Amino acid sequence: MKSWEPKIVGFLCNWCSYAGADLAGTSRREYPPNIRIIRVPCSGRVNPLFVLKCLMDGADGVLVSGCHIGDCHYSEGNYYARRRFAVLKRLLEYLGMDPRRFQMSWVSASEGDKWAKLIKELVQEIKEAGPNKPGLRKRQDG
Amino acid sequence: MVEEIRSKAKELLKTKRVDIIIGYKRASDGVSATPAFVNTVEGADELIWDAYCTYNLSRYLNDFPGKKKGIVAKACDAKSIIVLLQENQLRREDIFVIGVECSGVIDEEKLRFGEGDADRIQFDQRCKGCDPSVYPICDLLIKDKGRAKTPGLEKDPYEAVRKFEVKSIQDRFNFWKEEFSRCIRCYACRGVCPSCYCPRCVADQTMPAWFSKATSFEGNFAWNVTRAIHLAGRCIDCGECERACPIGIPLRDINKKIEKDVKELFGYEAGLSDNGKPLFASFDKEDPEDFIR
Repeated sequence: MKSWEPKIVGFLCNWCSYAGADLAGTSRREYPPNIRIIRVPCSGRVNPLFVLKCLMDGADGVLVSGCHIGDCHYSEGNYYARRRFAVLKRLLEYLGMDPRRFQMSWVSASEGDKWAKLIKELVQEIKEAGPNKPGLRKRQDG
Repeated sequence: MVEEIRSKAKELLKTKRVDIIIGYKRASDGVSATPAFVNTVEGADELIWDAYCTYNLSRYLNDFPGKKKGIVAKACDAKSIIVLLQENQLRREDIFVIGVECSGVIDEEKLRFGEGDADRIQFDQRCKGCDPSVYPICDLLIKDKGRAKTPGLEKDPYEAVRKFEVKSIQDRFNFWKEEFSRCIRCYACRGVCPSCYCPRCVADQTMPAWFSKATSFEGNFAWNVTRAIHLAGRCIDCGECERACPIGIPLRDINKKIEKDVKELFGYEAGLSDNGKPLFASFDKEDPEDFIR
């Protein structure tokens, strides 16, 4: 069997985190390729259902990343996101979901280094958490 | 009290203040209560009130568009009405709230299965954490003169939640996996909830299908999380979902968890005032973010 590599879905806001990840690339910072990035207009665009769907469909981790508080392109989108996901995160943990699987971060467009470091840490943590097998369904590796 | 409710209902119908009264009547089994929809003065004589009046009737308020509605409401029902008003699902002038002083309602299931008898009233679990003196909304409050002792406030309404929180993650997972595995996705929890009023529920959407409609672990987990998260800051703990659940998933334990978190994190409590914005339609600059990296 091939050694298992986690799959992480990242919802990145267009204005900060996506640019931050881009900066990590253009400045040739190395980080593991386990994250699949979905660009969204704002972290406030991310519905808890997105996170849930990823986790139920077999993603090993989900990251929601947006602008730092005060920097939102739409002034207040990340404030709403912060509230929403604080509740979701606690609920998922209460229901027995590994807290490492759902994470949130603020990464600005100039924080390429922070992005690379964050993903390194995240991948490590999710590797420790192991594959996400929500139910009994067989997971397709690879 | 029953007489007062009836005479007020008659008066409201006679003066055309309301077109319909939503209250309780005796069910065909002669013991329990069932919802009554009264639109004639004579019909008001079948209205009743006692500890069997479990249902949260605010569920029906939006079933009569364009009509003026009178409703018999307990303290918990009144909170649901507040939530509906806050979310602009109702117009205040379209409703007349007849508040009734409640001393707790009976857990019929426990009675039926012999875990108590009518003399030793077995109160519904939710009533133990309820302060029935809080009446956020009513046009008229009917007092209970011979009021039985209220079940009384539990010292800590979140005791069960706290106990569960400290269990290991694996224990928590196994518990809910077992509970959710019995879910048959009948959506009775949704059907009975006064706050689940979306014309089209995400659970019924097929494009995109947000989660599996099968009673798999994934489908059931996703449905129960979605139901709970959509009620965050809106659930007033009337406990109807848990009562309606045919296979007895302890849904209130999930609702209570969110209620507790929302109180701790944002100092927000649902159903107390219809002035403020709903929880997720507002924010505070100082909201906690210790979980964000």
